[in-house]
Amino acid sequence: MTKKINIKINILTSKLVLCLLMLFMLSGCSGGREINDLEIVIGMGVDKDEDTGNILLTAQVVKEGEMEKSSGSGGGGGDGKAFWNVTGTGESVFESVRQITHKTGNRLFVSHNHVIIFGKDLASEGLQKYIDFFLRAHEMRPTAIILIAEGRALDVMNAKPETEKLPAMNIAKLVKTYGFTSHFYKVNMKDFASCLMCDSRSPIAPLVGVSKDGDNKDIYMSGMAVFKNDKMVGRLNEDETRGLLWVLGKVKSGVLLISFPNKQGKAAFEILEAKSKVIPEIKDGKIVMHVKIKAESSLSEQTTAEDLATIEAFEKMQKAQAEVIRQEIMAAFDKSRELNADVFGFGEMIRKKHSNKWKSLKDKWDEIYQTIELNTDIEVKIQKTDLLKKPASPKKEEK
Amino acid sequence: MFRYISKVIRYLSLKNKNASQDTTTGKVNNEPISSDLKRNLEVIKGILRDSSDVTFHEFNFGHDRRFKGALIFINSLADKNEIHKNILQPLMYDVLLLKKDANMDFTKIDTVSKNLISITDTQKLVLASDLIDHLLAGATILLVDGAKEALAIKSQKVEHRGIEEPGTEAVVRGPREGFNENVNVSIALIRRKIKDPDLCIEKFNIGERSKTDVYIVYIKNVANPKLIEEIRERLDRIKIDAILESGYIEQFIEDAPYSIFPTVSNSEKPDKVVSKILEGRAAILVDGTPFALVVPMLFIESFQSGEDYYSRPFLASIMRLIRFLSYIISALGPAIYVALTVFHQELMPTQLLISIAAGRERVPFPAILEASLMIFTFDILREAGVRLPKAVGQTVGIVGALVLGQASVEAGLISPIMVIVVSSTAIASFAVPAQTDSGTILRYIYLALAGLAGGFGVIMGLLATLLHLASLRSFGTPYLWPIVPLNFSSLKDTFIRMPLWTMSKRPSAVVWDESDNYRQSPGLMPSPYKKDSGGSK
Amino acid sequence: MRIEKGNICNMQLLFLITGFVQSSISLIDFTVVITEHQTWMVILAGLVIATPFILSYVALAKRFPGMNLIQINDAVYGRFLGKVISVYYIFFLMMTLSFNILDVGELYATFLMPDTPFIYLLIFFTATCAYAVTKGLEVLARVSHLFVVVGIIVPVSTFLLLIDQMDFSNFLPFFELPLIRVFHGIHIMLSIPFGETIVFLMIMGSVNKTEGMVKNTLTGLLIGTSSLLIAAVRNTAVLGNTEAIWTSPSFQSTRLIDIGTVLTRMDFLIGIAQTVLIFFKCSLFFYALAVAVSQLFGLKSYLPLVLPLAGIEVIIAATVFQSPVDHAAITQDAGIIYSVPLMFVIPPLSLLIAKICGLPKPERGKGV
Repeated sequence: MTKKINIKINILTSKLVLCLLMLFMLSGCSGGREINDLEIVIGMGVDKDEDTGNILLTAQVVKEGEMEKSSGSGGGGGDGKAFWNVTGTGESVFESVRQITHKTGNRLFVSHNHVIIFGKDLASEGLQKYIDFFLRAHEMRPTAIILIAEGRALDVMNAKPETEKLPAMNIAKLVKTYGFTSHFYKVNMKDFASCLMCDSRSPIAPLVGVSKDGDNKDIYMSGMAVFKNDKMVGRLNEDETRGLLWVLGKVKSGVLLISFPNKQGKAAFEILEAKSKVIPEIKDGKIVMHVKIKAESSLSEQTTAEDLATIEAFEKMQKAQAEVIRQEIMAAFDKSRELNADVFGFGEMIRKKHSNKWKSLKDKWDEIYQTIELNTDIEVKIQKTDLLKKPASPKKEEK
Repeated sequence: MFRYISKVIRYLSLKNKNASQDTTTGKVNNEPISSDLKRNLEVIKGILRDSSDVTFHEFNFGHDRRFKGALIFINSLADKNEIHKNILQPLMYDVLLLKKDANMDFTKIDTVSKNLISITDTQKLVLASDLIDHLLAGATILLVDGAKEALAIKSQKVEHRGIEEPGTEAVVRGPREGFNENVNVSIALIRRKIKDPDLCIEKFNIGERSKTDVYIVYIKNVANPKLIEEIRERLDRIKIDAILESGYIEQFIEDAPYSIFPTVSNSEKPDKVVSKILEGRAAILVDGTPFALVVPMLFIESFQSGEDYYSRPFLASIMRLIRFLSYIISALGPAIYVALTVFHQELMPTQLLISIAAGRERVPFPAILEASLMIFTFDILREAGVRLPKAVGQTVGIVGALVLGQASVEAGLISPIMVIVVSSTAIASFAVPAQTDSGTILRYIYLALAGLAGGFGVIMGLLATLLHLASLRSFGTPYLWPIVPLNFSSLKDTFIRMPLWTMSKRPSAVVWDESDNYRQSPGLMPSPYKKDSGGSK
Repeated sequence: MRIEKGNICNMQLLFLITGFVQSSISLIDFTVVITEHQTWMVILAGLVIATPFILSYVALAKRFPGMNLIQINDAVYGRFLGKVISVYYIFFLMMTLSFNILDVGELYATFLMPDTPFIYLLIFFTATCAYAVTKGLEVLARVSHLFVVVGIIVPVSTFLLLIDQMDFSNFLPFFELPLIRVFHGIHIMLSIPFGETIVFLMIMGSVNKTEGMVKNTLTGLLIGTSSLLIAAVRNTAVLGNTEAIWTSPSFQSTRLIDIGTVLTRMDFLIGIAQTVLIFFKCSLFFYALAVAVSQLFGLKSYLPLVLPLAGIEVIIAATVFQSPVDHAAITQDAGIIYSVPLMFVIPPLSLLIAKICGLPKPERGKGV
C-alpha cells in the first residue's frame, strides 16, 4: 500500500517539478544578470551641481575592453582610458544613480565600489543627507573608503594616474597604504557611520587633492577633514593627524625626525611599532585623560658625522623622540579643542568606563571638552640601527 | 465500441496462447535417456539437426568389440586431442590391456568412467535435457548401447585472452594482472590469493538461452549470511534470455534502479576484489566478462584505489583528498562558474571580475548556454574518442584542442575562462572512475539549477543530493557509511588513509560478527630495532 | 500506533537539537535592534531560563516512551481536550514553519539575490524540504551532524578572520539598556530558539533508548547556544554601535573581512550557513507537522500529506506579511504571546497531571 502511495507521489512530484521548471524557463526572469550587462562601478563622487543646486553624482565605470588592450599594446589608438566617469544629477543620491542609466543603458553595479568621494562644498554643508544611500543599498559594502576632495570630487576622479589604470583603485590603494607615513588614516563607511551615530565623537575622513603639474594631474593626500556632527568644520594637517593616531594606537609606521640643538644635524627614525593606552579619570569633576604611549623605532638616517650608536646618545634621542611625539599629540589636541570636535573619542571612553557619570556629562560635552586635561606618558625605544654601526665619515683625531 | 471489444478479446486470446507455451527451451521433455543407442542418437539428431558443428562418432569398444558406443561433441568447442587420447584411446585400445575374464560390464556407465576414461571431470546424466545442456556447454557425451545413463566429459578447449593488465584500472604500484573472460581463470586468480578453507564459491546458472555460469565468492565466517541469502534470492529471481555481461546482473540486483549512483561496484583487478572479500563482502563473477561485481558498495569506495594501500600513507592521503576535490570540481565546476558570474558577481574580487568581463566581451551567448554547449561538446569528444580506431586517435586530440580551444576563443564564440573551467572539469572527472556517470549527470543538473536560481539553486541541489545519498542503501548497508551514520573508528580510511598498522578492524558495516572483527592484531606499528645493534663501539 | 517506523539513536538526538538551536543564527540579527550590545547576555539568560522547561519536555517524553506529542495530549487530557490542544499545536507548527520559510526568502531577497521573484525562492525551498520529509526522520537524523559541523565552522572561522577588527570595548557599558528591553529580548530568545524545541516532542518518541536523553539534550543545547554566542559576540565587537542599524549585522560584519586581496568577499559563507541551517529547521518542523496532522486524523502514513501541506505553507509564507518590517513587528510583539502557553505552560502541566494521575496507564491489548 505504501509502495503504491510512494510511486504515486513520485509521479506527482515529478509532474510538479516539470511544471515548475517550465515556469522558470518560460517566464524569462530569474534575477540573473549577464556579466557584460553590468556597469562595474569602482568609485563614486558626490558634488553639488552649481546650476540647479542638486547633486552631481559621478560614477567611475570600468571599460573592460580597454583594460585588456592597454595591457597588451600600450598606448595605441584613442585616449587609452580604461574607465569612464559618467555623471548624473538628481535631488537625491538614488535618483542620480538611476539618472545615470540615461547615459549607460545598463544599471550600475556598485558591489565593487571602493571609494566614495564627497566634494568639499557638500562636506561643509553636512553629509547626513547623502550618506544613507551608501549604507542602505544592498550592493554597497561597508568596506568602501570615504574621502573628501579639496575641490570637486569630479576633478579627483578625472585625474589619471601613472602606474594604475583606474583612478579609483589608485586612490583606494593610496589610502590603504597609510601606514607608511601614518599621516592620514583609512576610514571606511562603517567607521564613519559609527562616529555619526555617536553623540560625542567627531568623524574624520581623509582629504584628497589634485595637483596640476602641467598636463599631468596627480592626486595627493593632504591631511584629514574634521566634522562636527556631519558638517566639516576644519582640517588636521599631517602632524596633527599623526598626533591623533598616536592616541588611537593606529600608527603603523612613519618617520620621526629629531634635530640636535647644539650640534648641526638631524636624525631620522623609522617607527616600527606603537601602542597606546588611554585611561579616563574623573577627579573632582575634572576630567583627566592619561595617555600612555609605547613606541619602538630604528635609526634610519643621520646627517651628522657623529657616532650615535652609544647608550647615552640613545637615551638622548629617545627623549627627543618622545618630545616630538608629545608635540604632535598636543598639536592635535589643541586643534581639536579649537574646532571643539572630539576626534579622539574621549567621550565614548568615558561612557564606557564611567557610564553613570556620563549621563550627567553628556549634554554639556562641548563645554566640558574644552576643559579636559591631557596627561601624556611616552616611552620610545630604539631597537636597531640598520646596517651601519657608525656613519661613513672621516675619522676625528683623538684629542 | 465494437473495435474496443474486439481488441480486448484479441488481447485475452493472445495472452492465453502465450501462457500455454513453455517459456523455457523445453523443446526437450524432461524424459530420461533410453537404453537404446540408436533411439538416443535419433532424438539428439532431431533436436540439433540445424547445427552443423555437432559431431556424432559411433564406435565399438571393449574386448571383441562387444559394446557399441557413441561420442557426441561440438566440433568448435571440443579439445580433439583430449578426446582422442583420453577417451577414444583408452576405450578402444587400452581396454585390451585388461584381462578378458575380468568381464567388466560396460553397460554400466560407472564402470566405464571409473576404469577407462582418463579424464577427471565427468558427470553422469540421466535426463535428456541435461544431456543437451552439457553438450551445448562444450562437454563430450559418451553414450553406450544398453546403458541407462550417459557420461558427460568436460574436455573443452576454450580460446581466451591471456592475463593482461586491465585497461581501465592502471596502477603505478601493485599487481598488474586482471580478470579474464573465462571465469575459471578469474577464480583461479582469486584462489591464488586466498588459501582459506572458509572461502566459498557458489555456482549459479542464469540465463535461459545463454546458461551463463555465475559464481558468488565470499568467506564464510566473515561475510554476513543474510547478505549471501539476499544475493541468492535476487539472483534466483532473474529470468532472462541471456546474460552477456556482469552489467546485466548488476542492473537486476541493485537496490536503487532509479538513482544515478551505483550501488554495486565492479572491478577488473583480482587484488581489489580479494581485499573486498576479505572485508566481508561478496563478489559475483560472471563468465564472459572480466568485470566482477562486489556487493555491498559504499560511496567512499569509489575514491579508494588499490594503490593507496600499497604505498605509504602520506602521499596516499593527499591523493585521496585530491580525488574528493576532483569529484566536487567535476560536478560543481561549471555550476559555480555560472552562479558566480551571472547571479553573484559581488562575490568575486574586482580584478577577477574585470578580467572575466573583458574575456566575455564578444561572446554572443548567455553564460549558461555557453557552459552547457561546452560541456556537451566535451562529452561528444569523449565518446568519440573511445570509439575511434587507434590509427585515427591522434586526430581527436588535435581536433579537440582546436575546436574547444583556440579557434572558438578567437572566433569570439566562447570566452577563455570558459575553456579553463570546462577543461579542468573534464580532467577532474577522470580522477574518480567509478563515479564518472553520476558526475556527468550531476554536472548537468547543477548547471541547470545554477542557471535558474544561482547559488541558492546549487545549495538546494546539494542538499537534495545529500539527502538522496543518505537514504540509499546497498544490500542493507547505508551508502554513505561511515560519514553519515557517523562511525569514528572507520573514518580512518575515508578522507585520509591512516597507516596500515592502525586499521586492525574490519569496517563494521559489512561484517557479520562485530566482536570477532580483527583482521590484524593491534599494536603492529613498526619501530627501529631496540637492542644494541653492534656496529662501531 | 506508530507512524514513524524509523529509530534514531541518542547521539543523533544531540546533533538534531544542536542543529536546531544553531539555525536561529538569523534570529540574533533580529534581536539586536532591541538589545544592542547586550545580546550575548540575553542569549545566556535565555538558555538558563529555558533549560528547566526543556528538561520537562524530555521528562514527558521519557514518561511516555514511543509516543509523540499528539498521543501524549490524548493520554493526558482525554480525547476531546487533547485533540483541541493538539489542534493548537498544529496551528503553531504551521505558522512557525511558514515564518521560517519566509525568513529564508527574505534573506535572499534582501541580500544575495534581490532580483529573483520571491515566490520562486519559496517554492524551491519548500520543495526541497518536502523531499527531505518524504525521505523520513531517520535520514534527517543521519545527516544532522553535517549541519552541525557547518553551524560550528562558519561562526568560528568568521570570528577568527575578524579578530583584528574587533574592539572589545564595545561591550563595555554593561548594563546600559533599560531592563524592559532586556526582558523583551529574553522573551524573544526564549520563545524562538529554545521554546521551539517543543517540536522535539514529536521526535523524541522515535528514540530507541531513553537513558541518555537528558545528557544529550543538555549537551546539544550548550553547543548550539555557544554557536549563537560566538556569532553575537563577533557582531557586537566588530560593528560596535552600528550594529542596531543594519538589517543583518552578521552579513555586514562578514563583509568587512579584507585579508590580502583574496579573502575579501566572504559573506557567502554566512549565506550558505544560514540557508542550510534554516533548511534543517524547516525540515524538522515540516516533518513534525506532517506526522502531527496524520496522527490527528488517524492515517497510517504521513506521505500523502506532504505535498498538500507544502502547498499550504508556501501560500501562507507568500501572503501573510507585507514586508520584513511587518514580519519583525508582528513576530516580536504578537508571535511570542500566542506561543508562550504552548511552550511554557502546557508541557509542565501535562507532566504534573501525568505524575499525579500515574499515567501512562498500561493498557491491555494496545501496544505502543
